[in-house]
Amino acid sequence: MSLLRVVWHAVRLQVALSRRSPEHALVLLIAPMQTTTMLALTLAAHREDVVANAVLAPGLIGLWVASLDYAGRIVTEDRWAGRFPALIAAPVMFGLVVVGRVATVVLVGTAAFAESWLVAAVGFGRRLTIAAPGTFAIAVAATCLATVGTATLLSAVFVVSRARDVLQNSLGYPFYILGGILVPVAALPDWLHPFSRLVFLSWSADLLRGAVHGDTRGWLRAVLAIVALSAVAMAAGLWLTQRYVDRTRREGTVEFA
Amino acid sequence: MEPAVHTSGLRRTYTRRRRDTVVALDELTLTIAQNEIHGLLGPNGAGKTTLVKILSTVLLPSAGTARVLGHDVVTATKAVRSLVGLVLGGDRGLYDRLTARRNLLFWGALYRLDGRTARARADALLERVGLADRAGDPVEAFSRGMRQRLHLARGLLHEPRVLFLDEPTSGLDPVAAAAFRRLVLDLRAEGRTFLLATHDMDEAAALCDRVTLIDRGRMLLTGDPARAERFLGDRECVDFAHPDPALIGPLELLPGVTGVERGDGGTWRVHTADRDATRRVLGWLLDRDVLTARHGRPTLEEAYLRAVGDRGMRV
Repeated sequence: MSLLRVVWHAVRLQVALSRRSPEHALVLLIAPMQTTTMLALTLAAHREDVVANAVLAPGLIGLWVASLDYAGRIVTEDRWAGRFPALIAAPVMFGLVVVGRVATVVLVGTAAFAESWLVAAVGFGRRLTIAAPGTFAIAVAATCLATVGTATLLSAVFVVSRARDVLQNSLGYPFYILGGILVPVAALPDWLHPFSRLVFLSWSADLLRGAVHGDTRGWLRAVLAIVALSAVAMAAGLWLTQRYVDRTRREGTVEFA
Repeated sequence: MEPAVHTSGLRRTYTRRRRDTVVALDELTLTIAQNEIHGLLGPNGAGKTTLVKILSTVLLPSAGTARVLGHDVVTATKAVRSLVGLVLGGDRGLYDRLTARRNLLFWGALYRLDGRTARARADALLERVGLADRAGDPVEAFSRGMRQRLHLARGLLHEPRVLFLDEPTSGLDPVAAAAFRRLVLDLRAEGRTFLLATHDMDEAAALCDRVTLIDRGRMLLTGDPARAERFLGDRECVDFAHPDPALIGPLELLPGVTGVERGDGGTWRVHTADRDATRRVLGWLLDRDVLTARHGRPTLEEAYLRAVGDRGMRV
């Protein structure tokens, strides 16, 4: 219970920090623009059948960008600001603080779904209706959970690798493709499918599109896959974060010299 | 009674480049009793912060053992973390865009305080460190002294039995530094133990029951501040002005003169070993028509530098 309290306070910390840091919301500017571009292309090509893809993709991209953009910053910023020693001197796992803070950013990122829907409705007169709203809600929740887990892992990978900027810039487009965000996984070459299925976004994208169209076959399998990938990423992220903390304690690099 | 802190053969090295090893702590053995205020004195790079970080589990030792209230800092990390408070000096280490109160509540959660307890303690500590009126202000608007007090409040939030303070009054004005010291004495009266890392000799003399002098990671001595003063050697000096440097050669040869330093504008400072030597110097100067001279005591800082050697800005 006290562990959840730590996560909850990290969430509140991030809410308070983001309220005073408007730049954290810049990611929300991306979704409307992407929706506009994708819908314009879709409608110009008279492809009403893939309007749902054009509306859902910016939402998923928004989530991914939010986690990718912010996840890499948390530990580095704490080190630069001289907070890291006091954070790791506390009797709780530092990774839990990262989880709470990342979760807040991911929740903010979910606003991208609403933005896309609004742009489609107001800007293009296309009101996307969801045929299976229950499945859709479960899919969004599972996707958020998986994004938190993945962002926790990415946060650790970024600081351990010391190549945050390079990784941040390289992990966008490949995951949009592997994740079936821009085009469904089924449309990708067969040899890519196994890799694609290791990316939670591929399950999420299919599930969300299916929920919109009312095709909920295999929804439970997809949800379980998303949750399992989330759990693996979260566990790996917490483990790697702790390894990083231990390494800084061993090497004496808790603070930047 | 279990000592508050006990280290044995504690060693910490850093590898800067391949095969370039720096020894930050070298075979340090130290015992600090409960409810003691212990000063850790030394110049920059002496190893003070390294010891504080090891004792607060932020850093792992390379060899030797360190225990806090009987708990090993390497194998019983969690227990140690609940028992100690770490107060690092300086402007950094806080969430600047958040209020003082919000900062404390977050750290309260990290020490597993429930919401009600965290709020009550945060408010009480803000009152105690004189920040109650600024509790709702973002920390970025705080002066260095206010941040320092907030650091102390953060370190006290979980009511630790042992507090490690690293240069806590560095950069504070004299009034704020005096208030800070009063607070430390009050907290000691509540039964807490302090390890105070500082290079302010006077602060250590004013606050500490015992002090340890370290230099380049090695302990020079542990004892009461008076013993440290004796170790640091002569505490007498004579200041005078004279335009002719030729006067200084014979002066240095007088019995009991331990050194002569040149100051600005033809001023000189003669260090003497004892009161008799001081009388001898004053008489010698009088015989040479130097009628204006001042007898005094060098600061502890100066005495320290003379004892361990001035290495300039090298660390």
